[in-house]
Amino acid sequence: MAVTSRGAVLRRATAVAILAMAPVATALAERPVNPYEGDTELVPEGKSLFNQYCSHCHGPDAIQGERPRDLRRLRIRYGDNAIGVFYSTINDGRMDKGMPPWKGVLKEEVIWRIFTFLSTVQTQP
Amino acid sequence: MGETIKMKRNLLTGLAGAALATASAAVMAQAANEWLHYGGDQSNTRYSTLSQINTGNVKNLRVLWMHSLGSLESQQSTPLVVGDTMYVTTSTGPKYVFALDAKSGKVKWKHEPEMPNDYFATVCCGLDNRGVAYANGKVFFGRLDARLVALDANTGKQLWNVAVADYKNGHAITSPPVVYKNLVVTGIAGGEYGIRGFVEAYDQSTGQSVWKTYTIPGAGEPGNDTWKGDSWKTGAGSTWYVGSYDPKLNLLYWSTSNAGPWGGQTRGNDSSDIGQYTNLWTAAQLAFDGDTGKIAWGYQYTPSDVWDYDGVNEAVLADVNIGGQRTPALLHADRNGFFYVLNRQNGKLLGADPVVPVNWAKGIDMKTGMPIEDPAKRPRLGVWARNVCPNLIGGKNWAPMSYNPQTGLTYVPLFNMCMDIASKEEEYTPGKFYLASEFNLDMAGSEGTNLSEILAWDPVGKKKAWTIKEDLPFLSGTMTTAGGLVFYGNQHGALKAVDAKTGNLLWQFNVGTGILQSPITYSVGGKQYLAVVAGRTKGPPSFFGKIGQRVIDASPEGGVLVVFAL
Repeated sequence: MAVTSRGAVLRRATAVAILAMAPVATALAERPVNPYEGDTELVPEGKSLFNQYCSHCHGPDAIQGERPRDLRRLRIRYGDNAIGVFYSTINDGRMDKGMPPWKGVLKEEVIWRIFTFLSTVQTQP
Repeated sequence: MGETIKMKRNLLTGLAGAALATASAAVMAQAANEWLHYGGDQSNTRYSTLSQINTGNVKNLRVLWMHSLGSLESQQSTPLVVGDTMYVTTSTGPKYVFALDAKSGKVKWKHEPEMPNDYFATVCCGLDNRGVAYANGKVFFGRLDARLVALDANTGKQLWNVAVADYKNGHAITSPPVVYKNLVVTGIAGGEYGIRGFVEAYDQSTGQSVWKTYTIPGAGEPGNDTWKGDSWKTGAGSTWYVGSYDPKLNLLYWSTSNAGPWGGQTRGNDSSDIGQYTNLWTAAQLAFDGDTGKIAWGYQYTPSDVWDYDGVNEAVLADVNIGGQRTPALLHADRNGFFYVLNRQNGKLLGADPVVPVNWAKGIDMKTGMPIEDPAKRPRLGVWARNVCPNLIGGKNWAPMSYNPQTGLTYVPLFNMCMDIASKEEEYTPGKFYLASEFNLDMAGSEGTNLSEILAWDPVGKKKAWTIKEDLPFLSGTMTTAGGLVFYGNQHGALKAVDAKTGNLLWQFNVGTGILQSPITYSVGGKQYLAVVAGRTKGPPSFFGKIGQRVIDASPEGGVLVVFAL
């Protein structure tokens, strides 16, 4: 199950988007794929990793009060592109907002386990 | 400065049978009308001899002027008042340093530092700045990009600007330096980034380094064997808060942060049987020779720390009467839940008493100075310690206490919270958080819905005089006056004045956003003023889950200076 490189999980989202009849503009974006999508057994581990690496700013179990850094609102805020925003932000950071880049520090399997956990705590619109 | 302020024999010592406490010239060095140092004086007492505003008339305080700080992160600055000028910094960098007319708030000058746009990501716990230091016509302050700056106090013109350390690997400066003689001495933040802490002195005129002392002994130095392998290189022991200075002893006092990383398996035995691995001098009180920076003595509050019981809280210097002896004491309320009294001349432990519910240690052995640990409360690699009290924000955090020589009491802002914590494996990466720890801080302490309190603690009699419980954590620091008052604020934005003897509420005012830092008081032209910097905490509540959410919801973020007078 281990994913070894960024390239291995990036696919052209075009085919998927056409099947879903998504607008062309979003279909052209390159979108990563969570290799553990729907793997509920990994959620507790993802939660633990999240609490170790992310909770200082984003809250234990992703619960905290500052809306701009509330990762339970990824889906509300970014819709289908939540996964893309998550992946690029965790890798490249947003230095001017205080988010350090984690590329080369957190392994792909750690990043995707964290995302697998976050997928389970998304606030409903 | 340096004048003798004679205190009347204490009229209030009947209170709870408190032992007599008198102030010395060294301790009470504050010029009566000004607020010359972060802690009011170099002893960090936050006590003012002004008494025009007192228990009888404090209810008549009215807002006189306000000043917007222009930034919205947590505001933690203590303004200084020198003559009729107030110097105040803002959060975020600082974004601004202002010189204001202390009577009217009119801006005399403004300094806006040129900051890089990427320092945000290597600052641990909020974009804080706690203010400036003043000496010899110059204003000194540290920046979050780990630079130390001198400005002309009259014009705001930058005189020098030096890099103290590399911010890209987690160094930062959040607190004002200490000034004495020709020196300006700064500490350094970065205890969550695997730095090696130090204190460094610079020449006030030139910005040249005069001495630099690491808090962690290097290879071949005494105490280096208290570290396993090379762990000392990333062992933290940062000095992110303020120092104190005793001109008579020529000793500079600074205490040190948590050991790094929080998970202790890299640094020692991963056991309550810590053996040689005490990890000197982390979570410790240090006294430095004022001229050379050589460590004169040290006392470790939390040996082999694994709880983030960061020991940086201020050292309050007071001369107190212990067993009939006038004793040069150092008072310190630690995150680990104990209130310590040390002899500041030699570091001898005179008292260590819990001031909040404490269960990680049963007490402090007064002979050895070592905590008597409960092994079940020490987190180990992959092993959770449950319901550890206090939690890592501490019994007391940085928000400063005050000491009133008239009552002999300290006024201590406290937290009542607990935690679950476990150590984890983690690799060190420069410029990245290096904690090796997982924790749950969303846990109230034994006081239930009261998550904080202001405690009036008699450090000599070792007992509570009175206490005020509050709902939300992150109470502000306190300030106390010869007018028989204690001032403090909370995260709802309420600024309060209470009776220093009884804790009875005498006055309150809503400033509209949470208050973190102690108010100050000063007098210009025969009129006493009260000033408070407000701006709700923003970073740390993220650690606390639903409790933190309540803090964030208690008031909007802000940045305002409010000045009151009768």
